Amino acid sequence: MKQLFPVPHVIGFVSSLLLSLIALIVVKFHLSFTMGMTILGVTALIQAALQLFLFMHVNENENKSALLTNIGYALFVGLVTIFGTLFAMMWGYQMI
Amino acid sequence: MKIDHSLPLEYSTEENRLKILGFWIFLGAEIVLFSTLFAVYFTLQHNVGNGPAGSHIFELTPVMIETIVLLSSSFTIGLGVHAMRLGNKKAMMTFFGITLLLGLVFLGVEITEFVTYIHEGATMQTSAFLSALFTLLGTHGMHVTFGLLWGSAILMQVKKRGLTPETANKSFIFSLYWHFLDVVWIFIFSFVYLKGMM
Amino acid sequence: MKWDEFFVTGEPMIYAAMVSIVLVSIAIPVGLTYFKKWGYLWRHWLTTVDHKKIGVMYIIAALLMLFRGGVDALLMRAQTAIPDNGLLDGQHYNEIFTTHGIIMILFMAMPFIIGLMNVVIPLQIGARDVAFPRLNAVSFWLFFFGAMLLNISFVIGGSPDAGWTAYFPLASVEFSPTVGNNYYSLALQIAGIGTLMTGINFLVTILKMRAPGMKLMKMPMFTWSILITSIIIVFAFPVLTVALALMMLDRQFGTQFFAMQNGGMDMLWANLFWVWGHPEVYIVILPAFGIYSEIIATFAKKNLYGYKSMVYSMVAISLLSFLVWVHHFYTMGHGVMVNSVFSITTMAIAIPTGVKIFNWLFTLRKGKISFTTPMLYSLAFIPIFTIGGVTGVMLAMASADYQYHNTMFLVAHFHYVLIPGTVFAVIAGFHYWFPKLFGFKLNERLGKWSFWFIAISFNVTFFPLFILGLNGMTRRMYTYSESTGYGPLNMLSMVGALGLTIGFILLVYNIYWSTRYQPREVTGDPWDARSLEWSTPSPVPEYNFAKVPVIDTLDAFWYSKKEGKPLTDEDDYEPIHMPNNNGQPFIMGVFFFFFGFFMVFSWWIPAIIAGLFILGTMAYRSFEKDHGHYISVGEIERTENALRGEKE
Repeated sequence: MKQLFPVPHVIGFVSSLLLSLIALIVVKFHLSFTMGMTILGVTALIQAALQLFLFMHVNENENKSALLTNIGYALFVGLVTIFGTLFAMMWGYQMI
Repeated sequence: MKIDHSLPLEYSTEENRLKILGFWIFLGAEIVLFSTLFAVYFTLQHNVGNGPAGSHIFELTPVMIETIVLLSSSFTIGLGVHAMRLGNKKAMMTFFGITLLLGLVFLGVEITEFVTYIHEGATMQTSAFLSALFTLLGTHGMHVTFGLLWGSAILMQVKKRGLTPETANKSFIFSLYWHFLDVVWIFIFSFVYLKGMM
Repeated sequence: MKWDEFFVTGEPMIYAAMVSIVLVSIAIPVGLTYFKKWGYLWRHWLTTVDHKKIGVMYIIAALLMLFRGGVDALLMRAQTAIPDNGLLDGQHYNEIFTTHGIIMILFMAMPFIIGLMNVVIPLQIGARDVAFPRLNAVSFWLFFFGAMLLNISFVIGGSPDAGWTAYFPLASVEFSPTVGNNYYSLALQIAGIGTLMTGINFLVTILKMRAPGMKLMKMPMFTWSILITSIIIVFAFPVLTVALALMMLDRQFGTQFFAMQNGGMDMLWANLFWVWGHPEVYIVILPAFGIYSEIIATFAKKNLYGYKSMVYSMVAISLLSFLVWVHHFYTMGHGVMVNSVFSITTMAIAIPTGVKIFNWLFTLRKGKISFTTPMLYSLAFIPIFTIGGVTGVMLAMASADYQYHNTMFLVAHFHYVLIPGTVFAVIAGFHYWFPKLFGFKLNERLGKWSFWFIAISFNVTFFPLFILGLNGMTRRMYTYSESTGYGPLNMLSMVGALGLTIGFILLVYNIYWSTRYQPREVTGDPWDARSLEWSTPSPVPEYNFAKVPVIDTLDAFWYSKKEGKPLTDEDDYEPIHMPNNNGQPFIMGVFFFFFGFFMVFSWWIPAIIAGLFILGTMAYRSFEKDHGHYISVGEIERTENALRGEKE
């Protein structure tokens, strides 16, 4: 039975629950916008990394570099889409 | 079909390795898909028109339930893959079964949440903010729904055919999909709900 | 809905089109029955998973769409050839320029390129098929039925009429009440999913299935260009998927994304469209660069100059292509900061492109150039494309763009980029790889005639548009008065369009003539070329390579010819594993077609049923056991002997 619950998985699960609880700080306490976004960003990124490296075994693949390039490229395009859209449609729109 | 016994079952044939790489690339495309939905949501989140704002309709309790349920399902499917590598078919099927049940619970809570919104007069047609919200959540929910169907089909195959390179490969790929949905949910949880309630 | 709303009525040309559609749809089954070809068609084409046949089907579909888009173009030129012309009314003109754009980009340029990459890539990297042959067939049928769905719109329900960019609010239900733009959102969605799958398929194929020894930096340039293109496809198409889904939700489910009230933002559509749209431009141009690189190196009898800089410039283009999209709507009215940023990124993209131009020129330098048809297209490409590129830099300057925006100058610019870039390239590639597929060359004399007609007429058609644009003629206007003075140059452009028509007719005639009279080609390497596809016999056997070649350098086939050492030892064949044909992809495509059609008309119940059928085909695929088949050693020996001649 014990070997069905490997320690890294259990630790990963517990820490992802903890991270979600930590993120709740932004709702329960009155924080500045920057502070709140920082907490949300950091907790979300750590959780995503946990899933990626612990549960999805991205490291064990023979094409590790291809996979990481793939994810990196996707994040590049995704972030450009998000921030570029905000820049073009909102932030830059209000600038002179 | 050449089977390489030094590798886990799901990686053991060339075809399997191609499929896993192909699926990772598909997930790359999915990252962009959800990023675009986030881009739309962030752009429109303050455009509430005559409808309610996020801070008026979001409730913490159902969202926390959804989060915990989905995180747990991600944990159980991870255990499922681990059991599969130990060659324990029964444990693997149990963990996958629990995962799908948790997925079903998640979906139930999400649907209840949608119904509540609609009763409060916050429909998809009310404002651009709500259109974007429902589309982002709905796309994630559709992915979960599709995952339930897909996962059930795989479970049936594992039950009937046992753990072969083929079924192991499918199960592993399904687990990648499921973890990915969990990652997307974490971002929805943080940047839609918590940010909306900040 | 009444019948006269369902079918488009009131236009003699539409009636003529309906009659011809009915005649063709009767003629095809009758012909198939008469010649007893149903079984042949089903077994050898509709169910095929062979990348070469799928490639051929893509190219045939692309040629048909070239015809459709070309007729649209001729009608547009005819309508604007003289002032106050009444050939088409405003609505019909709107529909025609809209479908011309959609069809030429998405259903002609893309499939032609995907067709060539299907044919060439596995051969060029020494593979026996693509990574996922079955998925490849699904991709093709999704593209095909997406294209068919868009094409029936002009007789059933009405074509999209808000431009190929379908800007909101014009494309909203309020201003475009017909189902035309529903066709747009659904047909493009279906074809787009197919394209996305193609991108994944080729990315995996190129990354994982290269012949032993072929390191990334030893790949032919066309393979490199397709690798980069596939990356752009994979990461750009999801944006289109979302944009089209939102369009569908707005038009058919009453959401407010691009509405003008309730917080909607109409320009958000333009933004999303071009986040996909600009990378899309590079999806159709980078493969062209790859094709030219192959052809120029082959017919200059030299190594490609600056191989590494070619690769790096393509990588740079692929990243930059995601950073420039706002230049399509500088005049939206966002701040100076936004326009400046995107102006700079846009101009920066000219640098890697310029690097490539110089590399081709240096490849030509001191080469022993043979002026074959594919080479003529490649040589014509360099100066004409440069005009397109330079006018592009003019448009990139945001402040100047206020003057050119949406004028004929812009129309001339992108035709100067896309026609010598993409169209010349696919025609050149078609001539170049034709003998590999069919075992004989296209006739050179006819090919050159058609080249000169196309190259000269192209300039006659589109150069006047630069001047018209600078004189103030805007795009998409269906007529103008004589006092504007636009008449003579438009007439000149019409003359050019007729010349282009003659060129394309000659091209098609060449295919017919060559099929009947050209001598068979037996060497497998008619151009004395450099890359691996030419080491196979023509036409290529089902399994491509009896033995997988081993590579130690770029252009290994070229050096093996020069040094007289074969790439493989040909004696000991092993059985070859190949995938089985299957009808499921075709059937799935049919279900997608009906799903799309019912969705267009908001017939929910039939649409749901069709959707369930789609899920059913997926479930069938999941549960099916299909392990492919083996080709025996005896059969390989027989095939090889028949194609290459008996060995002593």
